[in-house]
Amino acid sequence: MIKFEQVKKRYPDGFEALHDVSFHLSRGEMAFLTGHSGAGKSTLLKLIMLMERASEGTVSVGGQNLSNIPRRKIPYFRRHVGVVFQNHRLLFDRSVFDNVALPLEISGMSQRDIGRRVRAALDKVGLLSKEKLNPVQLSGGEQQRVGIARAVVNKPPLLLADEPTGNLDPALSADIMKLFMQFNQVGVSVLIASHDLALIHPLHYRVIELSKGCIISRGKDSAEINKHTGEQNG
Amino acid sequence: MAELPKSSGARPAESKNAIQHYFENHKKVAKSTSLQLLSQPLTTAFTCFVIGIALVLPALLSVLLANIESINEHWDGSPQITLLLKKGVPSLDAGVLAESISQKQSITSSQFIDNEQALSDFKSRFEFTDAIEFLDENPLPHAIIVRLNSTLSAISDIEQLRDSLLTIPEIDSAILDAAWVQRLQSITLLVERAVWVIAVMLSLTVVLVLGNTIRLAIENRKEEIIVVKLVGGTDPFVRRPFLYMGILLGLGSSIIAWCLIHWVIYLLNGPIEALALSYQFDFSLSGLTFLSTLFLLIFGISLGWLSAWFAVRRHLDEIEPS
Repeated sequence: MIKFEQVKKRYPDGFEALHDVSFHLSRGEMAFLTGHSGAGKSTLLKLIMLMERASEGTVSVGGQNLSNIPRRKIPYFRRHVGVVFQNHRLLFDRSVFDNVALPLEISGMSQRDIGRRVRAALDKVGLLSKEKLNPVQLSGGEQQRVGIARAVVNKPPLLLADEPTGNLDPALSADIMKLFMQFNQVGVSVLIASHDLALIHPLHYRVIELSKGCIISRGKDSAEINKHTGEQNG
Repeated sequence: MAELPKSSGARPAESKNAIQHYFENHKKVAKSTSLQLLSQPLTTAFTCFVIGIALVLPALLSVLLANIESINEHWDGSPQITLLLKKGVPSLDAGVLAESISQKQSITSSQFIDNEQALSDFKSRFEFTDAIEFLDENPLPHAIIVRLNSTLSAISDIEQLRDSLLTIPEIDSAILDAAWVQRLQSITLLVERAVWVIAVMLSLTVVLVLGNTIRLAIENRKEEIIVVKLVGGTDPFVRRPFLYMGILLGLGSSIIAWCLIHWVIYLLNGPIEALALSYQFDFSLSGLTFLSTLFLLIFGISLGWLSAWFAVRRHLDEIEPS
C-alpha cells in the first residue's frame, strides 16, 4: 500500500528531515511509526499525503508513484487517504455532522447518501447521538473520534494518523487505538505515528522506528514482507 | 480491498450527478456566503459604502460627460463659417458665388449678405450710427455665411474646409465661428481623460480595499481552508466561497454607488436647471441609462471577483508540496 524507496527529504532551508528511507506497508497491514520528536515522523506522513514531495527516491501509494501526480490531481489523490491529526483539526463553526460530512461534500455526493454515510461513520466511533452538537461541546476523546469519523467517512483504503492520542489520557488512548484496530480488521491499511511506546508495544503490531531521519528498526520480518509483497505488487 | 483509483474523472453515469452537484454546491455556497455577510450587517455595509463611494466618482464624471456630449449633439446651431469678400466684388457676382458654394460637399446652405443690407442691420442694432454717417463709403464688405453639415464636427475638418474656401479669388478672409466647438471639444476631452485616470485609480483602490476585506475573511477561515484541502478539496472548491464574497460585496457596492449617483444628480439638477434657464436653455442632467446601470453592476461584480481571486491565490499554495 505504501512503498518508500531510498527516499530523501531536504527542506528548502537545507534541513534534511529524512535520509535514505525505505520501507513497505502491505495492503491491509497496520503499523506504528515511532521515534523521538524531530525524527521525521511527520515529514514521512506528509510525503504520503502529498503535503510534501520527496527530494530523492520514490514514494508510491496504492501502486501509484506520487511524483507522477501533478498538483491539480493532488486533491483527488487525498480523497483516498484518510488522515487523523493530533489536534484533530475540527471546524468549530459547524456541527459534528457537518464536520464529518465535509469530505463527502467535497467529493460531490448526494445529500441523502451523505446523511447515510455520516451516520454510519459516527455510529462506528460511538457518537451517533451527538451529531447535532458543536465539537466544542465534546470532550477531547470525543473530538478525536469525530476526527477519525471524518477520516474514514470516505471509506479510504489507507488511514494515516499523526499522534492521534497525543492529548489523551491512557484509557481514552486505548479506546482510540481499538478503533484503528477495528478499521484495520475490515481491510483498511493503517499507519500511526506515535511516540507513546507504552501504548503501542502491548498491541503487537509492527513498529517502524525512526531516528534522525533514518529507519533504525523496521519491525517484524520487514525484509520478508518487502520481498513477498514486492513480488505481488511489482 | 479497493484499489486506489488512478484517475479522478467521474464515470459517464456519474457525470450528470456531478454537474447537478456542482450547481447544488454553487447554490449552497452563494446562500451561506450571503448569510455570512448579512450576519455582520455593519461591517458589510461599511465595506460596501467605502467601495460604493470609490465607484461613484468615475461613474458620476462619466454621467456628466454623457450629458456634455448630449449638449454637443443637440446644440441648435451647426458650425458656420463667415466669408468676407474682397472690396469691389459686385453684389451680383457675390450672389452667384454664394449659390455655387452652397453646392459644395459638407455645406448645407449659404446665405449672401449684401454690404448695404449689413450696414443697415448694423445701424439698427447699435447706437453709434452717427459716427457711421461721417464715413464716405460703406466700410463693410459683402459676406457669405456658410452653414456646415453637423456631421462635420472635428475642428480639423472644419479648418480644412475653410482653407479650401480661401483659395477662391473673390474671398478675402474667413471667420471660423468655431471657438465654442473647440472649447466644448477640449472640455469633453479633458473630462474624458479625467474620467479614465480617476476610474483606473479608484478601481485599483476598490481592488485593494476588497482584497483586504477578503484577506481578513481568509485569515478567519484559514483553518477551514487547510482542512478542506487535506480532505481533498480542489482549488475551485476552496476559492468558491471567497469569490462569492467578492461578487456579493461588488454587487452591494454597485447598488450603493447607483443610489449615490442618483442622489447627487437630484441635488445638482435644481441649480443646473436654473443656470440653463438663465441662458434660455432647457436642460437638466439625466441619470444612468439602463445600459450604464448594467455596466456599473457588471463592473462592480467583476472588480469584486477579481479582488477575491487575487486574495485567495496566495493561500491556495498553503499546504501544497513546493
